[in-house]
Amino acid sequence: MRFLWNKYKFLFLSFFSVFGPATISAIADNDAAGVATFTLVGAKFGYSILFVLLFVTILLAVTQEMGVRIAVVTGKGLGDFIRERYGVRTALLVFLLLSIANLGSIVANFSALKAVAGMFNFPAFLLIILIIGFAFLIISKGGYHTNQRVFLLAALFYFSYIFSAFRSNPNWGQALVSLISPGQLQFSQEFIFASIAVLGTTITPWGQFFVNSFMVDKKIQLDKLRFAQIETYFGSFLANFFSFFMVVATAATLYKHGINLVSGEQAAIAIAPFAGQFAGFLFAFGLVNSAIMGIIVISLTTAYAFSEFFGFEGSLDAPFEKGKLFYGIFLFQLVIASVIVMLPFISLFQIVLYTQSVNAILLPLIFFYLLKITNNRSLMGKYVNNKWQNYLAICSSGIIIVSAIFVIFGLLFKL
Amino acid sequence: MIYFSELKGKKVVTEDMIQVGILEDLIFSASENPSITKIVVKNKDDIRLTIPVVFLSKINNYIYLKKDFRTTNLAEDELFILKNILDKQIIDLQGNKVVRVNDIAIQNKGGFYIAGVDIGVLGLLRWFKLEKTFRKISSKINFKPVSQFLSWADIQPLELVHGQVKLKKEEQRLEKMRPEDLADYLEKTNLTSVKKILNILDEKFAANVVGNLNVNYQSSLFKLFTPDKAARIIASIDPDDAVDLLLILTEKKRNQVLNYLSEKKYKELMHLMRLSNTPIGNLILPEFIAVYSDDLVGEILKKIRKGTTDFSFLQHVYVVNKQNELIGVANLHELIMQSFQTPIYRFMIQNVVVVHLTTPGEIALKKILKYKLSALPVINNDKQIVGLVTIVDLINAFNKG
Repeated sequence: MRFLWNKYKFLFLSFFSVFGPATISAIADNDAAGVATFTLVGAKFGYSILFVLLFVTILLAVTQEMGVRIAVVTGKGLGDFIRERYGVRTALLVFLLLSIANLGSIVANFSALKAVAGMFNFPAFLLIILIIGFAFLIISKGGYHTNQRVFLLAALFYFSYIFSAFRSNPNWGQALVSLISPGQLQFSQEFIFASIAVLGTTITPWGQFFVNSFMVDKKIQLDKLRFAQIETYFGSFLANFFSFFMVVATAATLYKHGINLVSGEQAAIAIAPFAGQFAGFLFAFGLVNSAIMGIIVISLTTAYAFSEFFGFEGSLDAPFEKGKLFYGIFLFQLVIASVIVMLPFISLFQIVLYTQSVNAILLPLIFFYLLKITNNRSLMGKYVNNKWQNYLAICSSGIIIVSAIFVIFGLLFKL
Repeated sequence: MIYFSELKGKKVVTEDMIQVGILEDLIFSASENPSITKIVVKNKDDIRLTIPVVFLSKINNYIYLKKDFRTTNLAEDELFILKNILDKQIIDLQGNKVVRVNDIAIQNKGGFYIAGVDIGVLGLLRWFKLEKTFRKISSKINFKPVSQFLSWADIQPLELVHGQVKLKKEEQRLEKMRPEDLADYLEKTNLTSVKKILNILDEKFAANVVGNLNVNYQSSLFKLFTPDKAARIIASIDPDDAVDLLLILTEKKRNQVLNYLSEKKYKELMHLMRLSNTPIGNLILPEFIAVYSDDLVGEILKKIRKGTTDFSFLQHVYVVNKQNELIGVANLHELIMQSFQTPIYRFMIQNVVVVHLTTPGEIALKKILKYKLSALPVINNDKQIVGLVTIVDLINAFNKG
């Protein structure tokens, strides 16, 4: 053992010096909206929806890896490139779309918090204020490494979904088989839309921006690119590993008993009769944790994007004085989103719908830029996409773009 | 001043209105004097033509080229505005990100060169043709947007080649400033640092800077200079300005300085000095209009209509900064040609020909004839405008005697 440790010590240490950003951003993709989607599809389609998960994992890994590679090789963010190569007009358009979509996603996360607070008779207003205060404090006062630790701690709390899944006594065999074969499922229109929803909640514009900016902020040296890539694949796996248990927890309880959910937050209460109060509580805890992580990460994405697009200092390591705009934008979004979520006359359903459509418009754009940059030899040097990477990336982007178009059409024609 | 955002995409035609294409980019020499040397025009077959600016005849709604224009290639040390500066990240000496280049300001009065980069919100809005709308709305709510501007003197041109817009060190930056700008800058510091800086500058350049300083500074500086140094400076600036300067000095100091001048220079200056018995004071017409540099044309025209009904003479609008120092001038024709939402700093002439209170009338007359003007502003020791002398008054005064 000691021999092994000595032999691989350097590799281990290098890996752990890099470890963090890609895992965090992959797991943050399971924000409250993500959890809600997984529980909804789990309740509706049971284990068979797990079949989609494998694809989603690969797509997530391939697309995130491009962002990570750009960050490590060039030291620049996606926002930097869009502004420098496509000009102000494109940059402002992308930024506006991104900030609108992000605001919508933050509102969705806040409303999940509000719902959970309601379930436990906790004043939602107070909870939201506490969370904004906490988020602003760690982001503005803590440096990169403090924040990374907080995020990784939050990622640990995702294990609560695993516990609730175990509590619900699922059929593990069937669950595992469903990963590779869809079983008795017929490919209905509903199933396609559910798959697209799973895809859309995992691969998001903010996720693509975040993994890239967060990696840039870590300032990883080029010789550690390999570790960053391994971490990306690991992160994508881990994120969907957790998603697997979310689906299993609801598939084993709600789907089995034919209970249809209206909203994902209800799952915490709905699974309690079948899996016990504790599982329900764990699920609710997981949901709050996911929502907080989502809120911070998404808001941070807009702040990063703003400083990249408009060239202001944008780093978690920047002192408050220098990064005033960066931290200001972060706080501003949280405040606006919390006001929106507290307004009684605003339909959350509408907001989620609009957010989805803006995201669907943005994703193809982002993949276009990602592919353009990763194929540009003058920027990437020998790290340009190779033939297979390109096929895979183009295929992945193609699938994502097609599903984005599906979403837009679906919204247009109210399918 | 004109902005790159306003030029990009403009139609390029020859003088007889044959369409050439649209303007895509500008090429400039990456040096301390970033003069624009070539324009890049994209024709309808998507071919990019590089045309030297000597073939440029004028710019208004279209960009007009001379009929017999030729194309050329990129020379060494030349860079593109679009490719090499626009939208790039500006970093300071420590490598911190500061802001991005939102637009490029181009001086088209008295040369064709890059004046600096716009780093403000207005620079962004200009790309969306929203600058005027924004100004209109903000003037309704009594808010004046300020344009944020970084002078070319602040930028390291050599770093541009590496794709970086890097700011300069303070001292490095001073040497590369235009004399007028440096004088403005020095007036804000104290006398010892002024002296220190002038000492490291090239003598000719230093003289030029001194000529641009305000009278108070000039007289205190000359007290510090040794007579021979003062004489060298006097000798290397415009004789009219030199006389202006000499007249500020005490008689004793003046004679000391004059002793160090060459025979020829001495005779020339003494001749001018002897003319200077007529003080300009009684020729000053106190009727003038002064506006701030970010005032809009609409506001200025309103101000003229309201405040100048009893004026006997009005040809120019003078532009002052917040300290009321004269920084520019525009004539009425230029003013009328602009749209109401344009701020005056966009088209004012920055190099104002002025006379001081101490300037002899004869010198004022020489200046007014040399620059073919109808009136000159008279400024006091603080660079504030106190009135005008008109060409008619000057000629009348010297015709009699």
